[in-house]
Amino acid sequence: MTEEKLAELRQKLARATQLLFYRHHMEPGAKRWELKRALGRDYEQALKLFEDEISKLGLQLKLVREGEAESESDRFYITFKGRPSLTDARTFGWRIDDMAMLTVALAHILAKGGKAPLKEIERVLEEKFPRWRMESTIDRFIRRGYLSEDEEGLVYIGWRARAEVDQKTLLGLLLGKEEGEKSGEPKEEQTTKTQEDEKE
Amino acid sequence: MKEREELLFRIIDLCESVSKRGVDPFDVQVREFFDRLDDILPKLKKYEDLYLDIQAVLGLADVVFQQGEWIKHKSSVLYLDPLLIMLKLHALQPQDLADVLAQSWHPIVEMEAISPHGIREAMEYWTELPPLGERWRGLETTEVLTGEVARRELARMGILSEEDFVAVLDKAWRELKAAAGEKEEIQYWDFIMEKSFEKTVIRAWLVSFLVSYGYATLELKPLEEEILLKPLPKPQRPEHALTFSVPISISREEWARRRKGD
Repeated sequence: MTEEKLAELRQKLARATQLLFYRHHMEPGAKRWELKRALGRDYEQALKLFEDEISKLGLQLKLVREGEAESESDRFYITFKGRPSLTDARTFGWRIDDMAMLTVALAHILAKGGKAPLKEIERVLEEKFPRWRMESTIDRFIRRGYLSEDEEGLVYIGWRARAEVDQKTLLGLLLGKEEGEKSGEPKEEQTTKTQEDEKE
Repeated sequence: MKEREELLFRIIDLCESVSKRGVDPFDVQVREFFDRLDDILPKLKKYEDLYLDIQAVLGLADVVFQQGEWIKHKSSVLYLDPLLIMLKLHALQPQDLADVLAQSWHPIVEMEAISPHGIREAMEYWTELPPLGERWRGLETTEVLTGEVARRELARMGILSEEDFVAVLDKAWRELKAAAGEKEEIQYWDFIMEKSFEKTVIRAWLVSFLVSYGYATLELKPLEEEILLKPLPKPQRPEHALTFSVPISISREEWARRRKGD
């Protein structure tokens, strides 16, 4: 490879880093057309090299399609290659309850074929969590893009959950999970429904 | 007639419950409903009923689409028995549920940074921002509450006489019936047109009450750009028909243009 070609490649990698790591407007990542415009026609080759580089840091490039076929609006994100432990997740600012609520909401939506009425999800969550916590948490999930809601009150899997959560693994693990298995985490943070909550 | 309307409303409602409330699309007997729609179609005469028929057909088409999506989902790798999933969600403790998420989770890595352009904009904003005292100074305005114009007030303004409002409406209705004649319909503008603009507006205002109170109906023909007024033999409130508001602009220019046309 000539010096000139190498310099061009380095420049493309730097541009890809800027586009993919830094948040532009509301969502992180970059759309296919943005990458194509910034990196040129051989953007896929540049992205492959970029992925090789970030893979050394335990990261990966994740493609989330807008539809079934390839589209210019498909979005690329950088995500963890591996999975955080439950303890790590709590250091990111997540509570055990929040994670449990997201699991219930996502699994419920997936079981219903990709969409479910909000009221139905709330009914399922209410069995385990106090209403005041559940409502604010669902709102936060919607704001952060884990869930999305339409005007009819139907809830869908949001863009962030499509990028971050391996849906097949989630359902598989859920079905194979036995109560108390492999958790072993302290439970002091939970605010599951108590008799007092039920009185309210 | 009522039975036909009821059937149409029932189909529309059922289709909506599939798309909006997550009812199983296979619970809808699409074929049977299409057969019944086919039977009643020749008997539908009114535009309102035909419109309902279109809505019902579109609703059933959407149900067929939902059935397709359901089959696609069931045949995908993500399909697992919903009942089993529900049982698991019910049985597992929050700690176990959180563990499931952690094991299938690859969080997005993102960073935030401000660009030189952003810094420049922020600096300009800060230097141009008035002091807090100035910003909190309210506008010197008097708050006036909104309210309805009473009929007496309208009379004072010369818009409506002291004559009973129902009697005025009744008179306008009889005039409309006479103007419509045997055809039982008249062009909207032909009926409201008066020698002065003010009188035309009053007549248009009365027509709006005639239509709202069920003394007459309006038919819009967007292609012909026509609005037809049809007096009803006796006042009736539409109970099952879909009603909607129609804004009709009556400007002085439009009135003058039509007067010249006369």
